[in-house]
Amino acid sequence: MWDKLKDILLQVQKPARYVGGEYNLPDMDKPCKERVCLCFSDKYEVGMSNIGTRILYHMLNDTDGVVCERSYAPDLDMAALLKENGIPLFSIETKKDIKEFDLIGFSVQFELQFTNVVYMLDLMGAPYFAKDRGEDFPPIVAGGPCVVNPMPFADFFDAVLIGEGEKNLAELVQLHMACRENKMSKKEFLNEASKLDGVYVPSLNNPTKRAVVKDLDKAYYPTKILVPNCDIVHDRSSIELFRGCANGCRFCQAGFYYRPIRKRNVDTLVKQARELMDNTGYDEMGLLSLSTSDYPELKELVDKIKVEADKRKIKLALPSLRLDSFEAEIYEEMQGASLTFAPEAGTQRLRDVINKNISDENIKSSLISALKYGVKNVKLYFIMGLPTETEEDLQGIINIVKLVKYLHSQYGTSKLLNITVSTSIFIPKPLTPFQWERQISIDEMYQKQEFMKERLRIKNVKYSWHDAKSSVIEAVLARGDRSLAKSVVKAYELGCVFDSWSENFDYDKWIKAFEESGVDYRKFLEGFDEEEELPWDIIDNGVSKKYLLAEKRKAYRGESTPNCLGKCNGCGANRLERCKI
Amino acid sequence: MIILKHLKVADVSYVSHKDVLRVLQRGLKRAKIDVKYSQGYVPHMLTYTSTPVPLGVQSEAEYFAFDCADRDKDDVMNRYNLSMPTGMRAVASFFKDKNPNLAGIVVASEYRATSSAILPKEIEDIKNCESYVISTFKKGEAVEKNIADLIYDLKVEGNTLCMRLASGNANLRADSFVGHINEKFGCNIKTNDIVRTAQLVLKDGRMTDVEEILR
Repeated sequence: MWDKLKDILLQVQKPARYVGGEYNLPDMDKPCKERVCLCFSDKYEVGMSNIGTRILYHMLNDTDGVVCERSYAPDLDMAALLKENGIPLFSIETKKDIKEFDLIGFSVQFELQFTNVVYMLDLMGAPYFAKDRGEDFPPIVAGGPCVVNPMPFADFFDAVLIGEGEKNLAELVQLHMACRENKMSKKEFLNEASKLDGVYVPSLNNPTKRAVVKDLDKAYYPTKILVPNCDIVHDRSSIELFRGCANGCRFCQAGFYYRPIRKRNVDTLVKQARELMDNTGYDEMGLLSLSTSDYPELKELVDKIKVEADKRKIKLALPSLRLDSFEAEIYEEMQGASLTFAPEAGTQRLRDVINKNISDENIKSSLISALKYGVKNVKLYFIMGLPTETEEDLQGIINIVKLVKYLHSQYGTSKLLNITVSTSIFIPKPLTPFQWERQISIDEMYQKQEFMKERLRIKNVKYSWHDAKSSVIEAVLARGDRSLAKSVVKAYELGCVFDSWSENFDYDKWIKAFEESGVDYRKFLEGFDEEEELPWDIIDNGVSKKYLLAEKRKAYRGESTPNCLGKCNGCGANRLERCKI
Repeated sequence: MIILKHLKVADVSYVSHKDVLRVLQRGLKRAKIDVKYSQGYVPHMLTYTSTPVPLGVQSEAEYFAFDCADRDKDDVMNRYNLSMPTGMRAVASFFKDKNPNLAGIVVASEYRATSSAILPKEIEDIKNCESYVISTFKKGEAVEKNIADLIYDLKVEGNTLCMRLASGNANLRADSFVGHINEKFGCNIKTNDIVRTAQLVLKDGRMTDVEEILR
């Protein structure tokens, strides 16, 4: 395989993507009973940036008897040459045919990556549907954030892992090893697998409860991680402060999906940070979570890590800061020249509807703090098409931009201030209080974008907006049922691949794919009845449907729900594991 | 100033020069070698390399230099080797008071290229030509280039071609030249089977291995 690859590697862009050889590569020659290949359905530079895949890769390689390799979606130039030369999709580490592994795992991160799954199966030479692959083909399983509703892609896989891989993937690999030792068939293995927490077997359609790690502080976290030889999207080491989010923004899937909230202790994080600094040589370290401001001992943690980071000239990155008084101090120390701020909606009324617990006063004081510290760039993020949104709410966005300009003239210490306003389109995602809502039509999306374009022709203000058409397809694939698998295959056959890369996305081909596969995609864009069974109801993700419905009703009453750090709001995620923060 | 001679072989030969610089700097950081930084608003590590080898060509003679508080060159090399990916191991270390500016003084490189079949002896005749024009690509466009003055030596031994070609300001890429040989003589030398074995500088009017001035 390597000799054949040598011939083509210099004909493709960025050959370093395909050769491996990264620092901290685990021992691929250790005695092993189970060889697993983790496939990531996007390019190397995206996959290598993914913290979840990184955890699982090292976890498996640190397991006795298991060797885990990786494969990423090759770029189109490489794929064409692989096909032309009859080379199947291979693993990065040992350049081995993926079909020769004992178990294959896919990470599906985003709805617009579904065609990439089919693309990679095609390059492997594997039938697309699990039912067509037969006993001799290794089981192919999937995990990742998209499993909130696995239905549109479930038929491609023998099993779908719902929840946290540190638990269910670890158990599944052990089970597969045991089943192989006992010469059990794939069907028997899948029967056993369906009894594990968080393993949905599409052929059995078994009700599945999401698997979660009980004690995050003791959960596996790698500190001897792969350091890529070429540039990747998030080229830094990171520590994970806590999992879950206490804020309950009603549009946010991650905020509900990753509950219950569990945190790591300061001492554990400081130890992990030091080890990562020793083992990686990175210039930057991210302190990650869904809402870093909510980590109770954030100041103590930053103070402890920063001493070591400064000595080694390592920059700390804290995404998701709310910039209250303490955070402004951190901000100043980090000499930040750019502030990213996500009010999500333009008026207090709409922010109450979506439960974004930020007041006009919060926005004002945060901006004043940042401007006093010399911010030169302010990025503002909003969502358009939210339930109950009116023109007044859109005008509210313009008003916030004008407020930023005014505050800069009063408090700003930098000469020039650039403001970037970005709007995305609301997608009513499963497992949110808005899961029953409709998505606005394409015409409405265009009207709202035009409204903004006309009014944001302001000096030093740049407006960017998310593509309306890809938001439609994303919504269909997020909310759809099992009928969509054939549409995904049809879309791939029509040439759709790397749909999440705007230059490759082709809306017309997707619409044609839905038509040719006989699927009425529009029904997934309309609202669902509250009594109706939803495609993803068989999956118990923790937060109860009753709670989500109650939240929806509060939204329409314009009532907000407080952050659950102070008092439990009874969302139901505690059934999986008690919230600990 | 410490100068390390290192390999760039196997998988790493497909890593671009720009990326190699980052790999080297991360290796120094992991090895906790106290390298000097620039004094600007965004300080960066001060490291210097010799002329880069073309993508896909392997090398047994890459050099990079850096100023650091550590003075024990062998200790630095040992620590560096424990912190690098396979394929970029250092094989020799040197200490100089001043930056030798390798990128500026290297005039030639020696290469060894191996084919799966015996190579024709006529290849050697190219070195005696007064004018020898080949087609190469520059910024995506085909251009004609007279390379006679850029070839210092060619030797064929069985299936191996040994080349001494201009490097630095006047430069002949080994992969372009081998591509021409493949086309003209029907050989099948892959780019990844070319290995840079030495870098040469001018000393007392003759070409000599760069190591002679580093010792």
